[in-house]
Amino acid sequence: MRVALFVTCLVDQLFPHTGQAASDLLRRLGVAVEFPPAQTCCGQVAFNDGFWDEARPLARALVEAFDHADAVVAPSGSCAAMVREFYPVLLRDDPGWAARARQVGRRTYELTEFLVDVLGVDEVGARFPYRVAYHPSCHGLRALGLREQPLRLLRHVRELDLRTLQGAEECCGFGGMFAVKFAALSAAMLETKIAAIEESAAEFVTATDVSCLMHIDGGLRRRGSSVRAVHIAEILAAQ
Amino acid sequence: MSARDDILGRLRRAGFTAGVPQVPAGEAGAVGGTVPAPVDRFIERARAAGVEVTRVAEFATLAEQVRETLAAAGARTAVIWESELLRPVEDALRRSDVRITDDPSQADAGITMAEAAVAETGTLVLGAGPGRARGVSLIPPLHIAVLPEDLIVSTLFDLFPRLEGLPSALSFITGPSRTADIEHTPVRGAHGPIAVSVFLVRI
Amino acid sequence: MSGPGAPIDFAANARAALGDPFLQRALRTTLERFRELQAAVIAEVPQWQALRTQAHAIKLHTLGRLDRYLEELEAQVSARGGHVHWARDGAEAARIIARLARGRRVVKSKSMTSEEIRLNEALARAGCEVTETDLGEYLLQLAGEAPSHLIAPIVHRSKESIAELLSAAAGTPLPAEPERLTAAARILLRRRFLAAEVGITGANFAVAETGTVVLVENEGNIRLTTTIPRVHIALMGIEKVVPRLGDLAVFLTLLPRAATGQRMSSYVSLITGPRRPGEADGPEEFHLVLMDNGRTAIHADAVMREALACIRCGACLDVCPVFERAGGHAYESVYPGPIGAVLTPLFRGLVTAGDLPFASSLCGACGEVCPVKIDLPRLLLELRPRVVRARGAARWERMFLRGWSWVMRSPAALVSAGRLVRFTRRLLGPRPRWLPYPFSQWAASRDLPPAAPFAFRERWRR
Repeated sequence: MRVALFVTCLVDQLFPHTGQAASDLLRRLGVAVEFPPAQTCCGQVAFNDGFWDEARPLARALVEAFDHADAVVAPSGSCAAMVREFYPVLLRDDPGWAARARQVGRRTYELTEFLVDVLGVDEVGARFPYRVAYHPSCHGLRALGLREQPLRLLRHVRELDLRTLQGAEECCGFGGMFAVKFAALSAAMLETKIAAIEESAAEFVTATDVSCLMHIDGGLRRRGSSVRAVHIAEILAAQ
Repeated sequence: MSARDDILGRLRRAGFTAGVPQVPAGEAGAVGGTVPAPVDRFIERARAAGVEVTRVAEFATLAEQVRETLAAAGARTAVIWESELLRPVEDALRRSDVRITDDPSQADAGITMAEAAVAETGTLVLGAGPGRARGVSLIPPLHIAVLPEDLIVSTLFDLFPRLEGLPSALSFITGPSRTADIEHTPVRGAHGPIAVSVFLVRI
Repeated sequence: MSGPGAPIDFAANARAALGDPFLQRALRTTLERFRELQAAVIAEVPQWQALRTQAHAIKLHTLGRLDRYLEELEAQVSARGGHVHWARDGAEAARIIARLARGRRVVKSKSMTSEEIRLNEALARAGCEVTETDLGEYLLQLAGEAPSHLIAPIVHRSKESIAELLSAAAGTPLPAEPERLTAAARILLRRRFLAAEVGITGANFAVAETGTVVLVENEGNIRLTTTIPRVHIALMGIEKVVPRLGDLAVFLTLLPRAATGQRMSSYVSLITGPRRPGEADGPEEFHLVLMDNGRTAIHADAVMREALACIRCGACLDVCPVFERAGGHAYESVYPGPIGAVLTPLFRGLVTAGDLPFASSLCGACGEVCPVKIDLPRLLLELRPRVVRARGAARWERMFLRGWSWVMRSPAALVSAGRLVRFTRRLLGPRPRWLPYPFSQWAASRDLPPAAPFAFRERWRR
């Protein structure tokens, strides 16, 4: 099985360990991984902020970068959702591109859904002896329907103590540009999420999206908390 | 151009949206679901909604039970619907020291029958008509309803097909009036009745 | 809706709300309670998802043939002796109703549509004595305030402040106990009901097949409003019509559960015409006012049309993390919350209400709970490019996103930019004392992300 890794701009430039964990994990499971170097960014930050003209060239570029792939795997629910659910919206005025985007979208997966739904595995040989709270990032949860897959994978990680997170499905408050345009609301939502994390007595909080995690981690560190955010790929790759 | 023409014209110009599914009337019921023991479910759900429910074993005892309920509530005046079913109750009350009035705003209690009920929600169905004023189940603080058990249906989906013609006002009543507007604290008894008492009869 | 007005500064309004601890507690407690109750009664309905789908289909079907259903509704209401009036906009609707109610004593039940058109002001100018009869609305009338939630309009006020209002109205001191206060309001309003000549309501639904107007409530004030006065006027947005009586089974199963977490509201009134011969009560005259006021424009918009499916349950408000913190007044609109963030820009303009669709992290919770399956997150998203085209954006925002787009067009540019960002981050540390806007907004409450030692693609091994 061969996949093209859509590593995402944030992971590529700011959270490389997440990308390495994702590709190591896939390889360990017998998947051949390629990294199409033409990839940059899915464009959702502009798209979600109403700058569709600015997002379109990025969408076309990404579609072209992954046109050839049998399967595209991204360690990000929101980026996978952008390609699968929203590229047809963004490109709807150009039927040719919209069709190409749909083709790519059909073969685009978030990492945990790829592992569970396509590879059919929930036990990946991981060991992570810590208390972990799982935050279901909104786009993954609601746009992709990623309810079970991350949890199944985490439950099979050896010595991992999966803590219950109160109000788990509540948004962490990131939301792209929302985090700066409505910073007070974003901070208030973050406060609620952090309180829940602290109440869970977790040592780590994990999710499928580094965007949520960098926002949560930023808040945890600002509070002087010892809880750290770690992307689910890094937990699943840990041995 | 009249407002009517203007509005309808705009709607027509906007056109029919292709691909919108037709929804045949009968289909709605298919989604509803049925209740195995409707009478028991009605009693459970009505009580959960704050209704006092009494099952009357012998119809002949209905009048006395209603009189007792009025006495226990301190109700001295009552307004009552004109109905075959309620005739024995009315007669008994007239013989007692309860004053019968035809002005609901003078009454401590209003007595009606119900022409149907919904088990799933504990809901009574009352239709207005001559001799069946709306105010009787609305204005006095106590509402007493007599409900023949065989008029209980399982869900709303079973109710609508049963309705033959519509009265000027059809009321679905589920419990006493209530509000939670003040600090979201539930309070029983707002503008409508403060208490509802249902007598289930078999005829 | 009444004219455009000054642009709504949602961020500022939200900041003010966040600084009000009573409001924050009240919102948190009320919405948590609503969510619990709703979840419990929804769990009892195994067909819930199927019902949502069906409700959506009925609404979209109706909207696809709205002209015909409105004509059928009009014919049926008229056949029953009711009068149907049509109003293009709020001013026209207010004129029609003021003419019908001129100089009379009016009792009103809670109606969002009447607030849309500022009906009370028009009635006051027509010499009417108007009493709001829904407890929350009555209290707001006493206080001279606007409602802050679709279903719990006075959630923003404490029982102590309510006791003050009612004590003043009653002329006697009342304790801050909800039961005593409600009992006092019952007495005060009962007098108004019994003396009322005109009753004005909204309408939750209107059935085309039978000419029936449907009203849902818990307090009993709507029943009194439609029973005692000689004249009943129902004001209704044109989108409220449903085709058949049987369709009500779907909507009346969904609405109470999604709105207040009840299996059924205390009262549902199905009104078909005025009183009939031989009846002792009920209105002698029934008037139905069908109002457009911006709805035909939404109807004509293929993407936005489904916003008209809304049954005003408020469920989207109850799950919205933004509404829970900003509260209803922050929206400066009759319609707050996610549905309000969609309707308000459509009714009042993209420039006036342009902030609203952006005041959301697009978490999607609203779309999940909407009982009629309006794709609210999608509508919020679709409004954003329209707002950008209509009013532009802040200069920093334009520069940032254009810059982003430009950088992302080539891997080489991305690599360079990434190096610059990582380098800068190493210089600044996690908590720089100063950052330019908007990065300062991030740093106010969050440390900067750690400085990555390298980019992923630099170390990629084939």
